[in-house]
Amino acid sequence: MKKLMGKQRSEYFISLFLSIFASLLIGVLIMVINGKNPIVGYSALVTGSFGSTYNIATTFAKTVPLVLTGLGTAIAFRAGIFNVGGEGQLYLGGFAAAYIGITFTKLPPMIGIPLAILAGAVAGAAYGYIPAILKVKYKVDEVITTIMLNTVAALFTGYLVNHPFATTQGKMGATEIIAEQYQFSKLIKLSTLNTSIFYMAAIALIIYYLMEKTSFGYELKMTGQNSQFARYGGINDKKQMIVAMLISGGLCGMAGVFEVLGVHYRFLQNISPGYAFDGMLIALIVKNNPIGIILMSIFFGALKTGSISMENATGIPSELVLVIQSIIILFIAGEAGFKNIYKNWRLKKSSERKVGEENA
Amino acid sequence: MLRELFSLALIQHTIRTATPLILAALGGLLTQQAGILNIGMEGMILLGAFFGVVGSYFLGSSLAGVGLAILVGVLIGLIFGFFVIDLKSDEFIIGIAINIFAGGLTVFLLRSIFGVKGAFSSPGIIPLPRISIPFLENISFLDTIFNNHSIFVYLSWIFVVLVYTFLYKTPQGTWLIASGEYPQALETAGISPRKMKYISSVACGVFCGMAGSHLSLGYLTLFTENMSANRGFIALAAIIFGKSNPIKTLIAALLFGFFDALGMRLQVVGVPSQFTQMVPYLATILALFIVTKRQMDKSKKGAIEINE
Repeated sequence: MKKLMGKQRSEYFISLFLSIFASLLIGVLIMVINGKNPIVGYSALVTGSFGSTYNIATTFAKTVPLVLTGLGTAIAFRAGIFNVGGEGQLYLGGFAAAYIGITFTKLPPMIGIPLAILAGAVAGAAYGYIPAILKVKYKVDEVITTIMLNTVAALFTGYLVNHPFATTQGKMGATEIIAEQYQFSKLIKLSTLNTSIFYMAAIALIIYYLMEKTSFGYELKMTGQNSQFARYGGINDKKQMIVAMLISGGLCGMAGVFEVLGVHYRFLQNISPGYAFDGMLIALIVKNNPIGIILMSIFFGALKTGSISMENATGIPSELVLVIQSIIILFIAGEAGFKNIYKNWRLKKSSERKVGEENA
Repeated sequence: MLRELFSLALIQHTIRTATPLILAALGGLLTQQAGILNIGMEGMILLGAFFGVVGSYFLGSSLAGVGLAILVGVLIGLIFGFFVIDLKSDEFIIGIAINIFAGGLTVFLLRSIFGVKGAFSSPGIIPLPRISIPFLENISFLDTIFNNHSIFVYLSWIFVVLVYTFLYKTPQGTWLIASGEYPQALETAGISPRKMKYISSVACGVFCGMAGSHLSLGYLTLFTENMSANRGFIALAAIIFGKSNPIKTLIAALLFGFFDALGMRLQVVGVPSQFTQMVPYLATILALFIVTKRQMDKSKKGAIEINE
């Protein structure tokens, strides 16, 4: 049994490697069509993401929201509830933290920071509870509801920062700056890397332990595997799904908290350029494996950071990496099918060879 | 205030905003009938909107824009079909992947083709023709409601009838439904369910391509990032609400179009735009809740009757 699992795992690694390779190859193709040198492009991408302390810091700064939203999505997916609403949960979590930071300006950081994080997590979890209860109690499709709620949350926080909580420093769609004791210090000069990466590491460790080492994590997996067969039919374990969704929403909410406390020091409308969608992509690519999520987040963070240098060196728009990222998931999702085609092709070839030998 | 809200313009807006939903939903219900849940409609609409602009701008005709959007729709429908039907990949993941791919690709191409970020508009983008039905012009309120719309508004109603006739009145339509419900039986009858599923997938791409080109060439002539604004998912909700029946889905799409238009009208009477824009999304959730709750009540009632 264990051997079988090992084989599956190594086969998956090969597929993952091939998928990434093929996607990067398509990137080469696009660069060549545009008349750019792909070697120059990709080497700029690598040096741009890992070439200096500043670049490495920027890469890791980008991984913080990706890891949190990735883990959040994964825990819900594992339980068989498809939380596509991470973006909305992130927005509400971020605003909740900003609210604490601009309201309770006299609290010492020892109390204030945990309070802000908790508020963000609760806001995200509460927002995740709505689609969860609609799914579990009324069988309303959670994919559609979470997507709809994303837009609602972005609009709602947009209203808050433009009207009741708008900053007095001109019309910028943002809250006031949070009190100083809430602001995480930056680790590397000029980069956005800040102490939230330590919080992220601690949270990731807890979630890893929860998902892989506890009976709760095991039951979650079972719930998900059972319900996969009846995605639109019955639900086996309602409580598991709700708990998973609460944790998921909480993690996405915290991703918003750290954007506010660590990066911007205020809540802005459009605070996230789609972190939760990237996180979801990551979770899907690594099939909800927590360690995989961390590694893939670093890879995605590097792609995002390096793409700017790639643009400067070759003139190819940095958005090319968005195309590459989404092609990886297409290949991974087609993995089993591609494998079958390959096996059939080999089978056919070997049988043809046999026929040939017999004829000779 | 009520008079300002519920004016003729509200009905006119409803018809206009429902059109992309109707078109996309017609495509989506075909795949739904063939047993495929298509989450990727959102991305298909977005690609249609983008390539509609590309075709119209470079070839100098709105028809060419629509043609290119449809062509891309066929292509993406084939890709979706290949992954879901032949590779048997998870349709949820493929749908999400297509949405993210479409988002990334359009942003990338927006910059590499037009050299702009965010949005592209130009007088060089030729809009779709506006149509007026002559005999309605004499009756003032019918003229306001039904005339001077973009061509897809009228086409979408014709398509509803066509899709309805196809599904329920032709053998091919029966096969398509059977490919979702009883693929084995269809196979035994000598008809390939795979082929029917592919047809549905490509048709969905075509309809979404048209929906997209209506968005970017119909009333406004421009493309903006993420222009589809979750219409693919609202269309999906319309399909669920209408139980994949073209007529009922049309009604659902009109309902969602109405809420969209109502939101726009609320802005006129002074409600902050953020709240008015929420209306169609909240209405979608509410509609889904109502329809599933009603189904549950019905099945509960049925169970009680059986017990008796």
